Amino acid sequence: MRSLIWKEILSELRTKQIISTMVVFGISISLIFALSFNLNKEVVDLISPGLFWIIILFCSTLGINRVFSYEIEGDSYWSWIGAPIDRGFVFLSKVIVLAIVLFLSEILIAIPFFLFLNIGIQFSVFYFIIILVFGTSSILSIGCLVSGLALRSKIKGSLISVLLFPLTTPVIIAATKSTEFIFNQRPIGEWSFWLLILITISTIFCLTGYILFNYFIEE
Amino acid sequence: MTHFFSRLNNRIHFLICFISSFANILIIMLLSPPNKAQGIFGNIFYIHVPIAWTAFLIYFFVMVSGFLFLIKKDSIWDYTGHACAEVGTLFMFLVLISGPLWAKPAWGYFWPWEPRLTTSLVLFIIYLGYFMLREFGGAPEQVSKYAAVLGIIAFLDVPIIFISVKFWLPEMQSHPQVGEYFSGKSTLPTLIVIYSLLSFTLLSSLMVRFRINTLRLADKRYR
Repeated sequence: MRSLIWKEILSELRTKQIISTMVVFGISISLIFALSFNLNKEVVDLISPGLFWIIILFCSTLGINRVFSYEIEGDSYWSWIGAPIDRGFVFLSKVIVLAIVLFLSEILIAIPFFLFLNIGIQFSVFYFIIILVFGTSSILSIGCLVSGLALRSKIKGSLISVLLFPLTTPVIIAATKSTEFIFNQRPIGEWSFWLLILITISTIFCLTGYILFNYFIEE
Repeated sequence: MTHFFSRLNNRIHFLICFISSFANILIIMLLSPPNKAQGIFGNIFYIHVPIAWTAFLIYFFVMVSGFLFLIKKDSIWDYTGHACAEVGTLFMFLVLISGPLWAKPAWGYFWPWEPRLTTSLVLFIIYLGYFMLREFGGAPEQVSKYAAVLGIIAFLDVPIIFISVKFWLPEMQSHPQVGEYFSGKSTLPTLIVIYSLLSFTLLSSLMVRFRINTLRLADKRYR
């Protein structure tokens, strides 16, 4: 498992393909959103939590698209299919590494996002990071599973988006709601329910992916 | 290979479905609506609720078939999952048509963001993706496995979507008008809902069996 995670990290460190595309794409959308809403303070305050998670969801699709395809392009897919390892661990290693990469991208995207939309950081950054961690892991546990399903499809990119967006509906609702509470500086007791939803989703889909990957990823 | 309706048990199944569905429609049309303000639209309840239950029941069988196909690798479970997904989506489409038709006189607008209706919509969209995966997912043997997995994760997502939507808009209560149907001393509305549910379940089972037969025939012909 440790070797698999290290392999994924090394691969991303060498190419920097996923993080660079996600960050540039995220900053571009933040700019587009800022220009579209004319910086109306009331409107921005109302919709900024939702906008932030829309950006994260869109950025995550870029990473999810690449997570398996670079292995097929480099012919390394057949190596891990033939290797005597639990395929569930391959799934978990991809979720973990992609979550780290997306989390770093989120930090880099959040700064221009708050800057462009004139959102003051008077809220708890610690709680915001907690929501980022669980929101990201929820999206990616579903995303990596969907990426595995669309692995052999000729319309992989479109299929991933078509399957990912409706499946992540509860993640977006929970993440947006909790971010809204954090931005409004509400106590954790008021939004802990949404945090629980995010933890539940990431746990259920990580376990499901770990179990099912052995059954459907074959030569 | 014999035709589906050439077998006696299938003909009997069809006849029972035809009679029960005809009687069901007749009862619902002739019944006086409980809420005078809603008029005949109030009776959509007796169709909307049973078809929603049937649709979720069929989707449950997609998940069960998915598990059985992944474990046993017998293609009958793939046909069952595929047939259930098709019939379930048809029923879900009817839910999404009948829901807004009932919502307009009950709530005053067509789309109330009611948790059950919203969950149905999300599930319907997931299943549109399911058919795209079936069509464009790759080689047929692999697609069967992918579809089985998607059937499982789609159903696992249902309770989470429902809870999320329910607490997303807490002011939007689940079916506040349902009480009107069961508030009186008469057990007739309950009996009609149960009969309607049985009738639609019977109809859906015939449709699923028919589609399984067609899928099996198509597979043997083209592989």
